[in-house]
Amino acid sequence: MSDGPDSGRPTFTLVEVPDTTPVDPDMAPMFSAPVQDGKRRKGDIFRPGPGPMVEFRNVVKTYDGNSRGLDGVSLGIGTGEFVFLVGPSGSGKSTFIRLIIRELRPTSGSVTVGGRDLGELRRSKVPYLRRAIGCVFQDFRLLPDRTAAENVAYALQVTGHSQKEVRRRVPEILSLVGLDDKFDRLPRELSGGEQQRVSIARALVNHPRLLIADEPTGNLDPETSLGIMDLLLRINRTGTTVLVATHDQHTVDRMQMRVIALEAGRVVRDEESAGYHEDTGEVLA
Amino acid sequence: MRLGMFFREALRSIRANAAISVAATVTALIAVFILGAFIPSFMYVRSAVDAQTAKVDVDVYIADTATVPQVNALREKLDGLRTDGTVAAVTYVSKDDALRIMKERLRDPSVLDELPSNPLPAKFNVQPTEAENADVIVAAVTNDPALDPTEGIVYPESTADRLLTAAKFVQWAGFVLIGILLLAAVLLIGNTIRLSIFARRREVEVMRLVGATNWFIRWPFMIEGVICGLVGAVVAVGMLWGIKVGVVDAWAAGADTALTKTGSAAGTIAFPLLTVVLVGAGALLGAVGSGITLRRFLKV
Repeated sequence: MSDGPDSGRPTFTLVEVPDTTPVDPDMAPMFSAPVQDGKRRKGDIFRPGPGPMVEFRNVVKTYDGNSRGLDGVSLGIGTGEFVFLVGPSGSGKSTFIRLIIRELRPTSGSVTVGGRDLGELRRSKVPYLRRAIGCVFQDFRLLPDRTAAENVAYALQVTGHSQKEVRRRVPEILSLVGLDDKFDRLPRELSGGEQQRVSIARALVNHPRLLIADEPTGNLDPETSLGIMDLLLRINRTGTTVLVATHDQHTVDRMQMRVIALEAGRVVRDEESAGYHEDTGEVLA
Repeated sequence: MRLGMFFREALRSIRANAAISVAATVTALIAVFILGAFIPSFMYVRSAVDAQTAKVDVDVYIADTATVPQVNALREKLDGLRTDGTVAAVTYVSKDDALRIMKERLRDPSVLDELPSNPLPAKFNVQPTEAENADVIVAAVTNDPALDPTEGIVYPESTADRLLTAAKFVQWAGFVLIGILLLAAVLLIGNTIRLSIFARRREVEVMRLVGATNWFIRWPFMIEGVICGLVGAVVAVGMLWGIKVGVVDAWAAGADTALTKTGSAAGTIAFPLLTVVLVGAGALLGAVGSGITLRRFLKV
């Protein structure tokens, strides 16, 4: 299993995960639905254009007490890319993500998402930004008193979809992530991997242009992690930009995608088709 | 459509947080109950005071032995006070009138038939334009030869002044108390809703994460507050009704069985109106309480 990427191909042309890869038994056959329809939708705040999906320009984020979250980061993530964000705890990965969904605002510099300068985005527009971005977290962040289907339905209700549409789309998306027979389970009745699939389904149901996953496999065993990563990859193939912050060295090495490494709030490495560490890029057996 | 969904969300959250919902409801119940007990009491006292101050009139009793010229002289004196603005009205009540009025007030008027003659004197009922003028009237007619030697002049003396002061005090104290009660109720419900939101802080976080607007998050909480307020108010009204029927009405009926009927002019708020006011107050308490609390949680 050492098939490296063809260096000449654009980054969003994906490396096939070999069929021999051990996958979660619940894994859906394929994620094949068109997630991107290309048209500008109602309430969509992204500006259409050829520019990058995410752009950081000299972003500095200082927390109280002078601790630095980010210390001068400039980079772009193209539309349709699959990017790993790696680095030790406290290196600024979470700060990076929270800046994109505007949970935080930079101390200086600018963050642009989908052609929108978040510094100029009015607070009342923040919910619409978040609808255009799907988020997946290590701790799943599901609503504990709602079933899998209700959790996904909530994201649709928020965006003002009719009950009819909710009934149509929720089963569809849950089947897509491989949870055909678990619609009515509460989060606590599901395994970690299944809960993460529900949270991915929730992130996807509004057809986001950008999917952000913060340590999506942090709480999962290696085999389940593979299943989740495979799912994210298939989502990326439909045109969705995917950004994954992770510690999971094995996964990063195996997938050979663009890797942005942060350390103490600075970008120390930004390579196409790389591994978790500089020296492990090619060696995997 | 959306309202239905918000309503379902509110009911879900009441069910999921039963203990806190019950606490909010009981808070509303207590607040509305106190308010509901206080409003009629306050209005009764006020109306009783009003009735009393309106009654500050001077009765000038006429001796049975007084001659016609003497009575006419007295009448002229009182009419003179009316022209200078001290007196609003002078009414002559004859001996027969007095007896008739007495009969009306008695449960068993036949007792008066036993009397050999009419013992009640005739009188001038003098209504001053201002309660303070009573003293002027009294001074003018004291020592008049037509006065009845035993009854003389009957007037509420300085009680008039004290009643006026009391009336003003009762009114202001009432307003202040109602204000404090409402404020306390809003704070209590707000605090309870805050507990409820605090218990679901993560949930609100998730809602914001998937792009829920503030109003989308707020509506179910507000409806939840209103439901708790309404339920509390309805229970409180039920309790108040029980007390009204079981205690207050029974007491009022008991007062009527005495020798005379309670001819009090004092009234209070009608119960249906009170119900509307209290239920409205309950709903408002819930909405305002949760609304204020949510503002702080939805800032960031």
